[in-house]
Amino acid sequence: MSYGFVESVVFALLTIGIIGAAAGIVLLNRITGAALLMAFTFLCMAGMFVLLGAETIAAFQVLIYVGAITVLILYGVMFTPQRDRAYGLFFQKQTPLAALFVAPIAIFVALYATTFRDAPTAGAKGSDLVPLATSVFRDYAFPFEVASVLLLAAMIGAIVLVKRDEDE
Amino acid sequence: MAPGPFGLDPALWAILRLLIAILLAVGLVFNGALAQIYLERKIQAIIQDRVGPIHTGPWGLLQTLADAIKLLGKEDIRAKLTDHWFFLAAPAIVFSPMVASYVVIPFAPGVVGADLNIGLLYLTTLGSMTVLGIVIAGWASNNKYSLIGGLRSAGQLISYEVPQILSLVTVVLVVGSLSMTKIVDSQQGLVINALVIPLAFVTYFIAGLAETNRVPFDLPEAESELVAGFLTEYSGMRWGLFFVAEYGEVTSVCSIITALWFGGWHGPLVDVHPLLGPALGVLWFTLKTYFFVLVFMWVRATLPRFRIDQLMSLCWKLLIPLTLTNLLLTAALLLLFPQTIVPVAIANWVLLIGFAAAVPYFQRRRLVGLRARLAAQGSPLAAGQRPS
Amino acid sequence: MSAIPLGAFIAVSAVLFFIGVAGVLVRRNAVVILMCVELMLNATNLALVAFSRRAGIADERGSVFVVFIFVVAAAEVAVGLAIVLASYRNRPTVDVDELHSMKG
Repeated sequence: MSYGFVESVVFALLTIGIIGAAAGIVLLNRITGAALLMAFTFLCMAGMFVLLGAETIAAFQVLIYVGAITVLILYGVMFTPQRDRAYGLFFQKQTPLAALFVAPIAIFVALYATTFRDAPTAGAKGSDLVPLATSVFRDYAFPFEVASVLLLAAMIGAIVLVKRDEDE
Repeated sequence: MAPGPFGLDPALWAILRLLIAILLAVGLVFNGALAQIYLERKIQAIIQDRVGPIHTGPWGLLQTLADAIKLLGKEDIRAKLTDHWFFLAAPAIVFSPMVASYVVIPFAPGVVGADLNIGLLYLTTLGSMTVLGIVIAGWASNNKYSLIGGLRSAGQLISYEVPQILSLVTVVLVVGSLSMTKIVDSQQGLVINALVIPLAFVTYFIAGLAETNRVPFDLPEAESELVAGFLTEYSGMRWGLFFVAEYGEVTSVCSIITALWFGGWHGPLVDVHPLLGPALGVLWFTLKTYFFVLVFMWVRATLPRFRIDQLMSLCWKLLIPLTLTNLLLTAALLLLFPQTIVPVAIANWVLLIGFAAAVPYFQRRRLVGLRARLAAQGSPLAAGQRPS
Repeated sequence: MSAIPLGAFIAVSAVLFFIGVAGVLVRRNAVVILMCVELMLNATNLALVAFSRRAGIADERGSVFVVFIFVVAAAEVAVGLAIVLASYRNRPTVDVDELHSMKG
């Protein structure tokens, strides 16, 4: 039993988790279950990042996706009606269209992707924290500031959209 | 990859090590919770002039053990209209990140699960996962008190995460590392971070009280208004898991405080012996941590509960501006004076004293204004006496 | 160091992305559509991180874009949910097929 074998097993488990949970989100009629599966997908994705040696990204992934976005989505689930359409999910006019567009492209891309055979190299020894921080705060400092403005705009926009008028 | 002891295969040893670490962490959490529940009951009793548990075992020491066995033996009750998967998942989602957070806590030099480079980020990440579990618990119970408790909790935890992380970032700026062991190692002798950046410590302490749902911020489970909040529908060991998770979080917050501001394992005689030193380090670390656990209990016995709007305004109007100012000042001073941390310390102490002086002043002014308004309405409350 | 070829990560990312696309096309609940958009963004993250590992670049260029995608995803879900809630307040449905009052 070698280290590479353990890694492969972990990769396989994470892949099953990600694909299975994502398929569940699309197929499940219960929205609460879909939200829970989404959190699970995000956690598995964080595992993938750790496998790639990007621990900092993995931590941010859990912090933002599981800690914030899933909670927001849960709020959305709680404040809106639970029932989805009464009729079956797959007997509507968009399904053939979806199958037509998605399946061939997905299969083609997935097959093409497997031609990348070189193994990913680990970043600098230890962690990706320092290179990431250097990139963000030195090379991409201006986009970083712009991103913060985007967040501020989104926050104000969300508040304005949801806030009730005073006389209502 | 280092080979394991006894000539074990490194991959096998990695898995074994993981299992041992998980077992140790779970054991630590459960035993810590048992000890803390006993301590909490005894200390509340002393403060309230009672005797507390005395009957089971010597000094009532076995009382919590008996309670735990009772909890384990309870029937697993699930209300009919609960959301099945959510209801089952919620305790696990709250409990497992808390256990996982013990991996990076540095008990002594060498006695740490994994010395991650991103240790502090990892801890905040796991802390943020608790929100999810509590919201899910509130929603799954299908009970309006639970739902309100869960939603309040989500608002509270997300809000208080901001000052908490900003306080941590201040420490990271001063130390220059996210690794827990490096942060502890940077505080040699008496130059502990609590003396350098005391304001960050105070804000973190307040935010930590809120993050662990402790009094005076235990609004999600405020008994007098919400029955038991998101815990209402839970019983038996599922409830026990939430309860243990709360104590585990208290311990982990107190360990973070110890490691970041109070020098972690550093103490007298730690460097004397290669084998005795780490043992003493664990001892110092535990003593410091439990000192802060005791402070948490003291706070619980002393302060009344906040109202939800007061809780939110404390966070958004006071703590966040304060921590942001502190962070900006610290960063600017560190850039201006890269050689010394004295200016940072001075700025921090000035801010802390200003904070400590301004809060009672503004409270008093508000109270005077309130009394004047009541007097204008001719209310008997105006003079400050209770209504008979 | 790793035994897993880069292509495996990219393939997982592609499959996840297209599951997200299929979800957006098939599901009619606005909240679920938001979830599927998040899945697509996540798939992109995986591809970016995997490719940033490929050439052994030391400065984490790919990962930087993942950080920006996090920002965009958070902004997107906040505004998206706000829009869903606002429209739910006006018409009691979150079914995107029934939101056609702007149709001529």
